[in-house]
Amino acid sequence: MDAVTYPDPAVIDFISEALIPLRVPSDDKPLSEDFNVKWTPTLITLGPDGKEHHRTVGFLEPKELIARLLLGEGKYFFDSDKFPEALKTFEKILTDYKNTDAVPEAIYLRGVSQYKNTGDALPLKAAYEILSKDFPGGEWTKRAYPYRLIG
Amino acid sequence: MTNAIQWETAINHALDMAKKEGKSVLLDFFNPG
Repeated sequence: MDAVTYPDPAVIDFISEALIPLRVPSDDKPLSEDFNVKWTPTLITLGPDGKEHHRTVGFLEPKELIARLLLGEGKYFFDSDKFPEALKTFEKILTDYKNTDAVPEAIYLRGVSQYKNTGDALPLKAAYEILSKDFPGGEWTKRAYPYRLIG
Repeated sequence: MTNAIQWETAINHALDMAKKEGKSVLLDFFNPG
């Protein structure tokens, strides 16, 4: 991360503008025990109340890191019942980071956020249809499988 | 824009900043070597 990803200008800009970056050694106690950290790098998105909303373990190249951090931001909004903000964040992944591994989960969570925001279940079915077409056999396609029956 | 990420090192300070600025915190546990 230090050699490739963190020096990347797009990563510096994104993290500096969107997040409060906090870095601690993995043997820092009690923090590492509180978060049950067993391997590095472990990157965790925390809300301002200190609660965990997203976690990723292992190296990520710059675009993948930004997409995962957006996923974390979107999950923070989602967990805080801020569904319009969550939708905007997941949409950003799908437009600006559409070739990253974060996309299937973003499609799934966009559908769920739309449902939570409006009460209309059809976006859940739409999410399944997109996932089954673009990511057949994928993890998030399998998780959305029950939504095929909606409508 | 800065030419490097300006990392905080204390969680309480980072959470205070997050509250003030309405942002999430990116907590990176790194290998101290």
